[in-house]
Amino acid sequence: MTTLKYILRDTWRLIVHHWVLGLLTLITAGVMLWILGVTTLFSLNLENLLTRLESELVVQAYLVKDNTLNIEAISRKIQSLEYVYTMRTWSPSESLAKLQEKMGSQSRALEMLGDNPIPYNFEIHVHSATDVEPLVQELKAMPEIEDVVYAGMVVRRISALSRISSRVALVMFLLAVIITALVVYNTIHISLYSRREEIGIMYLVGATRSYIATPFVLEGTLLALLGAIIAAGGIVGAYFPGIQFVQSNLPFLRASLITDRGIIWRFCALLAGFGATLGWVCSYLVVMRFINAITRPE
Amino acid sequence: MNIMFSGVYKIFEPDISALSNINLNIQQGEFVYIIGQTGSGKSTLLRLITRELLPSRGTVAVGDFDLRRMKSSDVPYYRRDVGLVAQDFRLIQTLTVYENIAFAMEAMSVPKKIVSERTKDVINQVGLWRRRNMRPEQLSGGEQQRVAIARALANSPSLFIADEPTGNLDFHTAVDVMKILFAINAAGVTVVMSTHNQAIVNASKKRVIELEGGKIVRDEKGGTYTI
Repeated sequence: MTTLKYILRDTWRLIVHHWVLGLLTLITAGVMLWILGVTTLFSLNLENLLTRLESELVVQAYLVKDNTLNIEAISRKIQSLEYVYTMRTWSPSESLAKLQEKMGSQSRALEMLGDNPIPYNFEIHVHSATDVEPLVQELKAMPEIEDVVYAGMVVRRISALSRISSRVALVMFLLAVIITALVVYNTIHISLYSRREEIGIMYLVGATRSYIATPFVLEGTLLALLGAIIAAGGIVGAYFPGIQFVQSNLPFLRASLITDRGIIWRFCALLAGFGATLGWVCSYLVVMRFINAITRPE
Repeated sequence: MNIMFSGVYKIFEPDISALSNINLNIQQGEFVYIIGQTGSGKSTLLRLITRELLPSRGTVAVGDFDLRRMKSSDVPYYRRDVGLVAQDFRLIQTLTVYENIAFAMEAMSVPKKIVSERTKDVINQVGLWRRRNMRPEQLSGGEQQRVAIARALANSPSLFIADEPTGNLDFHTAVDVMKILFAINAAGVTVVMSTHNQAIVNASKKRVIELEGGKIVRDEKGGTYTI
């Protein structure tokens, strides 16, 4: 307890002694973590939207018209394909009824066709948009399948968008982490450098390395944590008005956006934890490296 | 605390030989002067005792510690039993006299009340109570040296290392500092001090070890300063 009191006092002294540098670190860490948070939330929302679109992607496989076909066997065969998430078998009569329902008052036109021309078919949902193309290839290779209908262009665009959004999010994430880490690292390094003589004296009169190091590590952790809290505040302040704006201007996106306040608060808590961890790791690395170097006997 | 050097060599890279084949034994409670010209190896010898340096060859043993084989995690605990005073005082400029002294005990997690009492004691011992709230830069050289001595005394060390503690002081101030060191030694603490101060060495009739070119050329009880 006594040691903790001394360490906390020394941490406070460090922060006060370098308050301008500390403030700059705080602002930079806050801005970078805010960018990181906003990018992540944007990415999560986009992912949500893509998942929704993907869940609505349907591959319709029509069988050849042949009464001798074993529908159950073909159904099992298709279901065993790795890309298939869910599947439903539609009989010709069910398919016709669905079509009539869709056409509404114009469904009487179907009566002109005479016999029901629709064969047995399968409505297949996939795991993700990237599964559609390979699934279609496999279905087309089956002799029992006459035709495969799917939204090819939409699938390709969704897949491309999904890939780009993941990459952009990753790049932004890495950039924000690297910049925040460098800023914290530099601040603590300057702090250590300005007190290098003091550190040498402390070690010479019997202070342990951990006693010397802890205030510096705490300083870095605290600055990054405060930066993350500021970033979290900024995210909460910007996210909900932003969501409201999107919802009122693009109502078709309403169902795809993350609007649960609980999720956003948990996300902010996670961001604060991430900031503190990042600060701790960077400070620890620079402090131990520095202290090892100046306390090593020649 | 006994100090023993056995066949100690210290070579600084690439090939500067600072000490060569040093063998010496200092008993608990002794007062020893290390003398010699600048560059003779006095500071190197003292820094080997404080383990700021490691010998290139040979053994340096202090008390129960073999300093060469000592784990780095044990070094702080060893140093708490070694009081160090250097010519350049090595005080923390941002702290007051009181804080400079208290901090040596705080690093050992000594409770605040004891730190306060002990700090007051040692500040009084070196006669600086009225200067306790000043920073080192506001003090004279002699006063700064007394602060350094007080800090070294704070942890009640068994061994006191002083590297030219009177080097920056006028004669009268140097005598004051020496009085404190003699008092410390009288309490049973081993004192090893390097110096160029002929008058002080000659007046005190203590053991004198003379170094020349990194070798011991004289080790004399009740010796004098004759370089």
